[in-house]
Amino acid sequence: MSAAVDRTLAALADPVRRRAVELLGQRPRSAGELASDLGLAPPAMSRHLRALKQGGLVEDGHPHFDARVRIYSLKHGATDGLKQWLAETEALWTHQLAAFKAHVEGGE
Amino acid sequence: MNGAAVIVALRVAATPQAAFAAFTRDIGCWWKSHPLFQLSRKGDGVLRFDPAGPGGRLVTRFADGEEWEIGPVRHWLPGERLAFGWRLPSFAAGQGTEVDVRFEAVGAETRVTVEHRGWDAIPQQHVARHGFELMLFQRRLGEHWRALLKAMDERL
Repeated sequence: MSAAVDRTLAALADPVRRRAVELLGQRPRSAGELASDLGLAPPAMSRHLRALKQGGLVEDGHPHFDARVRIYSLKHGATDGLKQWLAETEALWTHQLAAFKAHVEGGE
Repeated sequence: MNGAAVIVALRVAATPQAAFAAFTRDIGCWWKSHPLFQLSRKGDGVLRFDPAGPGGRLVTRFADGEEWEIGPVRHWLPGERLAFGWRLPSFAAGQGTEVDVRFEAVGAETRVTVEHRGWDAIPQQHVARHGFELMLFQRRLGEHWRALLKAMDERL
């Protein structure tokens, strides 16, 4: 379980942020667009976007035609660490429970 | 995979009481190191609940005699439920995960369900303020991954 996984979980611990990630999953959006889609005041939206950036889930950039606009999009591989942790943890317990069953039923 | 928690279950031919006793008392015997995911660079060591019972800890002892506390026991309900913290040497400071094991009678057998969650990074006051249900969160997170992956697939 890496610090990155921790940050991802923390970023997704908030329903507003989960909804934002969902919206960005459809297509990139500006902060203003996200704020109005989610019914949030811009300052609240920036706080959430900051948390999502820190969580490594979204990234921002500028469109070619306007350097003043910031466009947010989902980051590739954002949840890779989390998925890897889940896969490993699942494999671990599947393995251990099978060993436990053999022990209990085999009367070792 | 269920959201950001892992749930693994199977049935064993024993009563819940016997299964709980074997799980806790014999963990040093039945725990088999997984070839790909060792608990530490020194392997898994020999696990034990010390002391066995409420207020105890899950500890492992490596071949060189060094011990590592995997986590404190949070719930010890023989025949029903066992919960403990789960922290490996590789975890960063302040990081921890939680394991919850339930024992339920299914006819003459027992269903043993292990749920391993990694939520500690989420501040409790934050959770309280938003009041989301853990299960809902997990389900939502599962949906998220599907949505995320779908979005990424479409972009590639």
